[in-house]
Amino acid sequence: MTEITRRNALKLMSATFIAGAAVSMLPKMAFSAGTITVLNWQGYGTDEAWSIKAFQEATGIEVVHDYYSSEAEMLTKLRTNPGTYDLVILNAARCAQAMAEDLISPIDYAKVPNIASVAANLRSNENFNKDGVGYAVPWVWGLTAVAMREGLPKADSYAVFGDPAYKGRVGLQDDAVGAIAAAALLTGQDMNNPKDLDLVKGTLKGFKPNVKLLWSTEDQWNKSFAAKEFDVAMYWSGGAVRSRRVSKLPVDFVVPKEGGIGWVDGLGIPVGAPNAEGAHAFANWMIDPKFYVEWATKAGAPASANTAAMESLPADDLSRQIHKPEYIANMSIMSALPDDRREAFNNLWQEVKAFYAE
Amino acid sequence: MRQLGRIYLLAILFFLYTPILVMMAMGFNESQLYELPFRFSTRWYVALMDNQQLLKAGMNSIIIAVITAVIATCLGTMASIALSRRTFRGKSLLQLLLLPPIAIPWLITGTAMLVFFYWSGIGRGMHALLIGHVALAIPYVVLVVGTGFNTIRADLEEAAMSLGSTPIHAFFAVTLPLLFPSILGAALFAFAVSLDQFVISYFLATPGYSTLPVQIYSAIRKGFTPEINAISTLLLLGSMAAILIFARFAKPGDVSDKR
Amino acid sequence: MRSDTILNDAARGSSDPRQRRPIPAWVATTALLLPTYGWLTLAVLLPLLTMFVFSFMSATPMGKTPIVFTLKHYRAFIDQPYLINIAWTSLVIGFWTTLLCAVFGFLAAVALARATVGRMRETLLVLLLLPFWTNGLVRVFSWTMVLRENGFLDGVVHMLLPDIGSVSFLYTRYAIVLGLVHGYLPYMILTCYIALSTIDDAIIEAAASLGARWWTILLRILLPLAAPGLISGAVLTFVPVIGSFMEPRILGGKVGVTMGTVIEDQFTQAFNWPLGAALSFTLLAVVLAIFATFSGVLRRGTTA
Repeated sequence: MTEITRRNALKLMSATFIAGAAVSMLPKMAFSAGTITVLNWQGYGTDEAWSIKAFQEATGIEVVHDYYSSEAEMLTKLRTNPGTYDLVILNAARCAQAMAEDLISPIDYAKVPNIASVAANLRSNENFNKDGVGYAVPWVWGLTAVAMREGLPKADSYAVFGDPAYKGRVGLQDDAVGAIAAAALLTGQDMNNPKDLDLVKGTLKGFKPNVKLLWSTEDQWNKSFAAKEFDVAMYWSGGAVRSRRVSKLPVDFVVPKEGGIGWVDGLGIPVGAPNAEGAHAFANWMIDPKFYVEWATKAGAPASANTAAMESLPADDLSRQIHKPEYIANMSIMSALPDDRREAFNNLWQEVKAFYAE
Repeated sequence: MRQLGRIYLLAILFFLYTPILVMMAMGFNESQLYELPFRFSTRWYVALMDNQQLLKAGMNSIIIAVITAVIATCLGTMASIALSRRTFRGKSLLQLLLLPPIAIPWLITGTAMLVFFYWSGIGRGMHALLIGHVALAIPYVVLVVGTGFNTIRADLEEAAMSLGSTPIHAFFAVTLPLLFPSILGAALFAFAVSLDQFVISYFLATPGYSTLPVQIYSAIRKGFTPEINAISTLLLLGSMAAILIFARFAKPGDVSDKR
Repeated sequence: MRSDTILNDAARGSSDPRQRRPIPAWVATTALLLPTYGWLTLAVLLPLLTMFVFSFMSATPMGKTPIVFTLKHYRAFIDQPYLINIAWTSLVIGFWTTLLCAVFGFLAAVALARATVGRMRETLLVLLLLPFWTNGLVRVFSWTMVLRENGFLDGVVHMLLPDIGSVSFLYTRYAIVLGLVHGYLPYMILTCYIALSTIDDAIIEAAASLGARWWTILLRILLPLAAPGLISGAVLTFVPVIGSFMEPRILGGKVGVTMGTVIEDQFTQAFNWPLGAALSFTLLAVVLAIFATFSGVLRRGTTA
């Protein structure tokens, strides 16, 4: 076996391929100073039309979007498009990887005044920092836990996924990390590093008679729930707010006694961003209480990392009721996984899915 | 017998159009979550008229599909001539090379293109988009036109040539008219391949530029609304009208003429 | 008659006063092939070759992880035996989809070529191909509306037979095959129709006048004549169906675990391109092997 570094492999390949490529055009994107390009999931806060319009009126900066549909794809887009994006939304679990690969640059917090009221725990999250330097502005956080049809007895444990009372009425998320986290919490293990993977596998396989659906998008969740295909499911806290408010679905969101599966999304500035100045301004806008309240009440959002923004919500707001401030201190947060563990997780989940399909 | 054949065709049409009719119907359904029972509403068409992003994406899709269909049909037909009418070494290998673009899922081909175009300096943008779309449509064209070649007799061309016609002239005078239905079919497929292709557009378009399949694909995370049904319906009815008008006036490839 | 004009054209061609030196055959062949294969090489084959190289690496060569060349991804079927079941499922789904497409598509092409004429035939052909012009995702999604409990199918059935239970079969393998047949049937109809459209009426009339029954004509005359179309149609159906992931995922629910979805997961969730690439190249090899066997059998069949 030959040990080769990524750089050498890259050089070798690019040399071969440049020679082979007949066409060699390098399109330079001619963006005016007044534009920033944001890389995010579609329909996830940054691309709300009213906000983009207000931001442009306030700063003169136009916001353009490019989207990704998985976190792996987000990293690929960052790697293959240096100098294209000004701001990227990354999950804490992926942020460490982006930092390690020098894909994102340190944040100049002086240009993000709203950072002052961001929860200290989130700001100091080890996945957002390297050598005492912050690489991302904590933006929103949320939980993956249990959602149930209104009127059913509220479950107090993830064990509900295996409860015979819900035979064929359960929807699990088709996500290796999420599914394993739930089973790890249920069996009393660290969700980011469960020691007994066989126990996790057995627990997940035990859900088989109940599993009706493996959902992968909020759209699918809403439509299947509306068509009464399942009664109990794993779900995102922010999604539950949107389903109730926007889609008027009878959903109750429950955080079981084992705790929710927490996650934090941050705003990062890619290395070589053409308009880092504008990106800082937009990051500040994104954690501004004014933007957040409008986003949360108009569309439905996860919890803002900015405590001041959360406190600006009306006291009876659904989002505020679901996202209790004490969670920040004690929930387990999804964090970076080493490659071998990620591979083990994925293989385990494939095996469980193959078992469900039999 | 003839009657039975027609009834059978109607049954097949019914099967093919079942989801299309449902798609059209749901564009007129009030519920955003496609819930039944059906309640008539035109709100999604009204919303669509205001949705500049979606309309523009639809327009972009059509433009790319037309360009793709033209280029892929020309190139693919040329290759098909060589593969069907000439003998040379390595022909089977060339035919085999048409399979990977069809067999390897688009997601992988798309990812491979993104990485390769980045490393080779082709980059992203309209040119990259077209390179990708045409490449994925070509194999379909070669296979469909090749089927046409396999079923028309080479002796007609040979007859023309033995009468002194040049190969090129014989091709245009004899073969091309006979091939017309296959070429037209191939072009329709190339158009469809491009119209359905989201992965390539998703990876290779410049940020801010979007096509309809990309809009649909990236909307599924949060939820696509019946506006998508509305624009798909308009697109389908529009192309149906365009093709039927074309068929009425052009009237080529009427196979009953050739005997 | 068209053939007369052809002869006239040919005669005119011969009287062309310009004397041209004939182009060497290999030049013409190359000129015809080069644009297509150049394009394919640049846009698909070289990128896929890159992926092929990746499939021998220990990790996706985009991060900072040191890369080691390894064959372990090609051992996946041994290390993770459940993959064999999944691959088998995919092949079975591909087989049924192709078979159903071939039967229904061939018959539709026969009906089109024998039972219709002129403008009606053109219109029907266009109508048969048009469903293709809608987005695949939207089509698949519409099938879920039809098939789910209390969906359109249940609605229609209950209108006729109110007492019967739900006939919904969404989230089963039948639903996957149904969606795939719907998606690929137009290919088969078109390729079979192209093959059948050149058949001489005289052959069939002769057979009929000699007392051949309709099914003899169908199986002994039309089927062999449609063979080139059936073969291309089968390639255009079987090959992509094996790697499809949209239909299994959306219509299959929890039973929709196929090679296509496993490969997709490697690219979207696991970020394990090498494994995803290795699995799809293995699949490609299997597909090629099947077609090699198949074409060998066919060749022997036609020469015998």
